[in-house]
Amino acid sequence: MNWDIILDSAGLYLSGLRLTLGLTLASLLFSFLLAVPLALAKWSGGAVTRAIISGYTLLFRGTPLLIQLFLIYFGLAQFELLRESWLWPWLSSPLVCVLLAFVLNSAAYSTEIFAAGLAHLPRGEIEAARAFGMSAWVRTRRIYLPAMLTRSLPLYGNEAVMLMHATSLASTVTLMEITGVARNLTLNYYIQFEPYVTAGLLYLILTLSLVGLLHWAERRWAGYLVQR
Amino acid sequence: MRYALSSLCLATLLCTGAQALAQQPIKIATDATFPPFEYIDAQGQLAGYDVELAQAVCEAAELDCELIAAAWDGMIPGLMSRKYDALISQLTVTEERRRSMAFTEVYSRPVFRFVGRDGSEYDFVEGDLAGATIAVQTGTPMDAFVSRHFPRSTIKRYDSSSAAYLELVSGRADLVMSYEAQITYGFLSDRGREGFTLMGPRYTGQDAPEFGEGVAIAVNKRNDALREKLDQGLAKLRETGAIEALDAKYLGGE
Repeated sequence: MNWDIILDSAGLYLSGLRLTLGLTLASLLFSFLLAVPLALAKWSGGAVTRAIISGYTLLFRGTPLLIQLFLIYFGLAQFELLRESWLWPWLSSPLVCVLLAFVLNSAAYSTEIFAAGLAHLPRGEIEAARAFGMSAWVRTRRIYLPAMLTRSLPLYGNEAVMLMHATSLASTVTLMEITGVARNLTLNYYIQFEPYVTAGLLYLILTLSLVGLLHWAERRWAGYLVQR
Repeated sequence: MRYALSSLCLATLLCTGAQALAQQPIKIATDATFPPFEYIDAQGQLAGYDVELAQAVCEAAELDCELIAAAWDGMIPGLMSRKYDALISQLTVTEERRRSMAFTEVYSRPVFRFVGRDGSEYDFVEGDLAGATIAVQTGTPMDAFVSRHFPRSTIKRYDSSSAAYLELVSGRADLVMSYEAQITYGFLSDRGREGFTLMGPRYTGQDAPEFGEGVAIAVNKRNDALREKLDQGLAKLRETGAIEALDAKYLGGE
């Protein structure tokens, strides 16, 4: 066993942990901001809006995230036109490409989760809100959004954990998150077991923290949905 | 009669069992992303310098070999855990690698070079190359070399050498470091590579210990018998001039 190599690389793992955490939180934030309006638009919009949003979620939920990441990172780089455009300084950065892939992918899943949450909203609540004379904006803010978010919290929690695990793909485009650090150690020291076990343990700790946070949020905001 | 028959059956059973053991082919792994040394051809078959060499060595040593395309990151650990019996993948022999595995005699001494865009100029004096982005395959001699000698550059590490070239073509990397022959016959020879050229000094094992003693076949440390057989095969090929013929076929007779 070569645990001394792991101990010597503690600093690498720490910076990997920071990057994994940063990627997860940033992707969750941006995908949430994208998914909420998309879910509302899909639920309340016309046939064309619904078709466009469904097309988007089908595309990103129907293909593997790794393919999406490779298409954005390597695929787009193939086009001379793009390489000479103002977009290139952004798209040449692996961090931007990774975030773009994770946000678009996660937003697709989150949109469907939130839209399903809205679909389960009892008609009575909407009618009551209308009867009170609430405007569309007030209804959205006070009825639809809270109902949508609380009802989809358990499913959204799964998506958040899945997204955190998916950040391990970032190492394929040179970002040294936890998996990248482990891969690098296997390639330089020819040991496989210790680096990946350490990486697995770090992911486990992150997952348990995230799950704890989500459980707390569920009790705090979605407690009223529990059948008594 | 019955007794004789059953003992005959038993004998054949034992024999086929022993034969199966003897016929277990030697598993030789290679990372097929390194043309012209090892790559997957248009028919989906393993091909290249090392692949032909491995086949010739096995034939000369009268070994039954099976070549396997393996991923670079799992290859050396796979040899150490005996998933593979040998590796032939332009592996350079270094002090550090000798601690983890055994090597046959060296069969080639590569030269290492940079490749970059035509017209771009870099100062390759030690410690410089500041600001340049260098792409290399992780865990290779080139990775060790640029990590040690060009700490002020940005080094990007990839699982395969082909990914490093992709980054050079897309402009995300300024330089790629690899084997000179690999750059010439595996990258520059392809269509649309007119804008790229070899750069900097020609490095060999004499210039830096990271570049090792040369290229050899790697074998598990506890498998001396196989190493000796492969060495005998290599010696035969050297006598018959088969290695020179391979050099001529793939590397323009260098």
